[in-house]
Amino acid sequence: MQYCRVSSVAEAVDELTRWGAEGRVLAGGTDVMPRFLQGEQVPAALIDIGGIEGLQGISEVGGVTSIGALVTMRRLATASLIALRHPALSQAAAAVGAWQTQTVATLGGNICSAASTADTLPALLVAGAQLTLVSKSGRRRIGLEEFLEGPGTTALRPTELLRAVELEPLGERSAEGYLKVARRSSMDVAVVGLALRLHVSPSGVIDGVRIAMCGGDRSAHRVPAAESVLLGTQLSDESGAFTEARAALADAVGPGDSVESQYRRRVLPGLFGRLAGRCSAEISGVVA
Amino acid sequence: MTIRLIVNDRAHRLTVDSGEALLGTLRDRLGLTGPKEACGEGECGACTVLVDGGPVASCILAAGSTNGRAVRTVEGLAGAGDLTTLQQAFVRHAAVQCGYCTPGVLMVLTALLEEVSEPTEAEVRQALAGNICRCTGYQQIVEAALDAARAVAS
Amino acid sequence: MSALGTSPDRSDADAKLRGQAVFGADLSRTGMLWASLARSPAAAGQIRAIDPIPALRVDGVLEIVTAADVPDWRTGVIVSDTPMLAADYVAYEGEPVAIVVAESRAAAEAGARSVAIDIEPVEPVSTPEQALAPGSRLVHPDWNRFAVAGGADIGRNGNVVAEVIHDPGDLDEAFAAADFVVEGTYRTPRQYQAHLEPKMALATYESGRFTIEVSHQYPFRLRDRVAQILGVAPSAVRVVGHHIGGGFGSKLDVSLEAFAALLAQRYRRPVRMQHTALEERLVAPCRANAITAVRSAVRRDGTILATDVEIVSDSGAYANNGPALSSIPMFVFGSIYRVGTARIRTRNVYTNTAPTGAYRGVNGPWLVFANERHMDAVADTLGRDRREFRLASLAQDGDLMRNGQPLEQVSILREAFERVNELAGWRDAGAGELRGVGQAAAVWLTNPMPGHATVKLNEDGTATVITSATENGSGAVATGLRQIAAEALGMATERVTVTMPDTDATGYDAGSQGSRTTHVVGRAIADASVEVRSHVLERASQMLEAAAEDLVITDGVVSVAGVPTASVTLGQIAQAATWSEGPIAAGASYVTPTPPHDPMCATGMLIKGWPTPTYHLHQAEVSVDPVTGQVTVDRYVVCQEVGRAIHPDAITGQIQGGVAQGLGFALSERVDLDHGRYVQRNFKAHGLPLAADVPKVEAIVMEHADPAGPFGAKGAAEPPVVPVAAAIANAVADAIGAPVDSLPITPEAVLDALERAQ
Repeated sequence: MQYCRVSSVAEAVDELTRWGAEGRVLAGGTDVMPRFLQGEQVPAALIDIGGIEGLQGISEVGGVTSIGALVTMRRLATASLIALRHPALSQAAAAVGAWQTQTVATLGGNICSAASTADTLPALLVAGAQLTLVSKSGRRRIGLEEFLEGPGTTALRPTELLRAVELEPLGERSAEGYLKVARRSSMDVAVVGLALRLHVSPSGVIDGVRIAMCGGDRSAHRVPAAESVLLGTQLSDESGAFTEARAALADAVGPGDSVESQYRRRVLPGLFGRLAGRCSAEISGVVA
Repeated sequence: MTIRLIVNDRAHRLTVDSGEALLGTLRDRLGLTGPKEACGEGECGACTVLVDGGPVASCILAAGSTNGRAVRTVEGLAGAGDLTTLQQAFVRHAAVQCGYCTPGVLMVLTALLEEVSEPTEAEVRQALAGNICRCTGYQQIVEAALDAARAVAS
Repeated sequence: MSALGTSPDRSDADAKLRGQAVFGADLSRTGMLWASLARSPAAAGQIRAIDPIPALRVDGVLEIVTAADVPDWRTGVIVSDTPMLAADYVAYEGEPVAIVVAESRAAAEAGARSVAIDIEPVEPVSTPEQALAPGSRLVHPDWNRFAVAGGADIGRNGNVVAEVIHDPGDLDEAFAAADFVVEGTYRTPRQYQAHLEPKMALATYESGRFTIEVSHQYPFRLRDRVAQILGVAPSAVRVVGHHIGGGFGSKLDVSLEAFAALLAQRYRRPVRMQHTALEERLVAPCRANAITAVRSAVRRDGTILATDVEIVSDSGAYANNGPALSSIPMFVFGSIYRVGTARIRTRNVYTNTAPTGAYRGVNGPWLVFANERHMDAVADTLGRDRREFRLASLAQDGDLMRNGQPLEQVSILREAFERVNELAGWRDAGAGELRGVGQAAAVWLTNPMPGHATVKLNEDGTATVITSATENGSGAVATGLRQIAAEALGMATERVTVTMPDTDATGYDAGSQGSRTTHVVGRAIADASVEVRSHVLERASQMLEAAAEDLVITDGVVSVAGVPTASVTLGQIAQAATWSEGPIAAGASYVTPTPPHDPMCATGMLIKGWPTPTYHLHQAEVSVDPVTGQVTVDRYVVCQEVGRAIHPDAITGQIQGGVAQGLGFALSERVDLDHGRYVQRNFKAHGLPLAADVPKVEAIVMEHADPAGPFGAKGAAEPPVVPVAAAIANAVADAIGAPVDSLPITPEAVLDALERAQ
């Protein structure tokens, strides 16, 4: 196995082109290294992109937050810009593993590994994440929903590198959050993770809602059925539409009858109630 | 491959294997057996060291990715001198039992106390989320950390 | 100043905090080879062929050793049923099949993965129920040819490894006279020790003798087992102990050591072995899974007339110490509460799973879980307050345990109920929606097995204790034994050193198990110190020209009582003695006598008595999250009797740590089996409690000095794990208004129970 250290996006793309599917990008390595050390996945080359300065930034320009692929979970969990504009992402990043993981695990790694349990993905989905991918033939943009093709599989081509993620920051009269159910207080993957972003009109009508979840048999995904019942309803109307949304979430778990699936179905409605309650309280607080 | 590593304030130039984990580099090449080997998959924290000040599980960190960086292990805390305030608090609070988790726990708490001057108990417990201790039930470790923070602050 | 009841620094703290302490897993030797075991991938089956070629192709691999190259007899602690390497059939996933010898660790491990083991699989006997089903396949067709240590009759029969029956006979009458019959079946899973340091061995062979360097709880057992496996005299094996990175019972028997020793002899080079993280899991001697059925005949006034207990525990593929542990139910039912006439049958059975073994508080957590869940059930049936019913049912001093042993101080439990009530209350504890409170009590033993210590007074006035007692983390050696020696000799604790274990250099010691070190080895030290002290006083009386009875020893100085100027230091005395009559040193042995008991009380019983009992009451308050079904332990109170507290902070640490392990067993830890194979195969999947999952335990330490113990000390380290799952389960049942009769208490099960209760 070769170890290729690159220091620029151009060099990275060169190596990716050279190795193709035989190469494996190494960032924090929290996913790649255990698999490699246990002999599960031994690539022909590890392409270490950790030294690329250009992938380390967090910025907000022109109403768009841009996060470099190498930004670590620790930075996401502690950066004030993220806490203010992307609280769900901040909470999700803090829920990944423990400090040791967060020091090195990167946002790009979480996205490209595309585990069905990846905490940041629901938070990114409710922020309308757009990814920038680069390769020898140029760059392309792709929505995160489209990018996630299934657990562990994405639209990333072997010769492409994820460069940055663009997000819509939280605006006025809006709130968002991420809640996770796991077996212990930390370290464990999400049995289920739920992100919600709500936006209301000056008169208190919900005019924007995004709900996304992870932890099931599928990749992280939005839950349009639950979103549509909430859209256009009054934020204060916590009985009607919110109850319907809870039911729609339980349905979103899918047909599996494993113990985990059954548990998810039972937990999600209550979890949503908790998250929605928190978000509406935040908005009401602001509106009032 | 050759890497340059600053370990406990000393520079090293080392030849490492391409897939080698930092823990193996420290233990087998540098003879620093303070960082412990246990789960081998980044789940227990016994191998924790600081890389540029941040705690990492060295058993799953590629040695190659630490090229040019500063690594601190438990051996680097007190060197040959007096125990640090945190280490002294561990002695006072009987926070060491079998001692196998201790090097990793010390590194995380060292990082915490460098970042937060007077952490709350909840912050200490959260910081320790990646460190399994099967002996102590954590309480005396937490008390030692809080006590050390107070001692440093005063 | 007395060294007792204070909390001096541990002798090993500095080295452990600097990362300097050398654990077994840190050992290495110039010129050493590495070896790794190729293990059975199947839970059960016939070995068709072992192809070494793929492994020999791995760069650095030297040789593949199979059953044909190693001793062909079976050995064991009690039943000689375990082959060194499986020869014709495998009985569990992970059973050693071949040894890969290599120049490096990586090569040995890669080689072990590459040995092609061709097994004709058979359907494994996966559960104890299956093992006992009529017509079940025998895990060991030749079971009848296995020898039992001492020729004991332990009730073996087919898949039944051991059967202990206590049957006084007149149960039917009691059940006929009962107003209520209360029944419960309590199911408990395995628990994995999860010590952090993997098992390892470093063996050398020189001049006809083996030296094994290891981190092990019981070096003398290891010496004897390696000798048994290799067919050599125990004196041909020397075991040298190093710092132990946790054991909790897992490091009491042989694991890799005999393989390493055999290879060291074969290659005349040092041989190092170490478990991978996966091997640790596959072959750990977990706490046995068990099914405990309890049926009680209860009169309306609350009297329990009779209790019928039927237990099946899973031995796994080999007997290990399961036959001995099968006696333990005899000391739980009827030792805490009066349970009337009791019939107790315990069967320990073979299955095609990894052998179970000793884990801190052997069998206790699940026996107390059954006993205490059942007490709640009886109280509920009677409509009685659970605490009040417990108090009314408590055993009383002079009552006999089921083995006929008198309970001499069980009234200490009544005191424990009062002390816990003073601290945490009962009626208001755990009040509120989805909150609950539960209690669990235990009477636990202090392991009585033998120990020896030599105490020598050094020429600078310090003392050295020479023993193979092992420091397994509790501080029993690193502080406790030193304090006892210091107190007995009249010097400061810092002036006492204890040697590391070495079977060549010390008397026999039965290792760190069952809280025995402080009590048994401490007593040996105290006894040896009496002799050292008398030499000291004799010599001092000559030096000071005073009668020995008029001398006092304080802080390393012997002086004439009332004449402080007439004094001489222990160092001066030792110097003088060494160069006149000779160095001052003395040795002593101790083994706790077996308490009086009825030898006819049961058949198949290997543990006859329950020596040096200690008394425990735990109270847990929990809350249940209605959305997730998750349980949070809000408050946890322990009241524990320890004889005399030698090092209070160390006892606090044992209580806190024991509760954390019990909490994991109750709530988050998973060790599931599927067709004989473990489902959870890495650290993450086990769900060990983290810092934020464990509450601060409030500990009340009660002292009732034991006349036989060193300065009154009994054991303290093991039992805090015993009542925890029971107390938490009782609290959860109280919170959700539904029984909790199996462990772990999963969120799924809690939500199920909540739904049913609605």
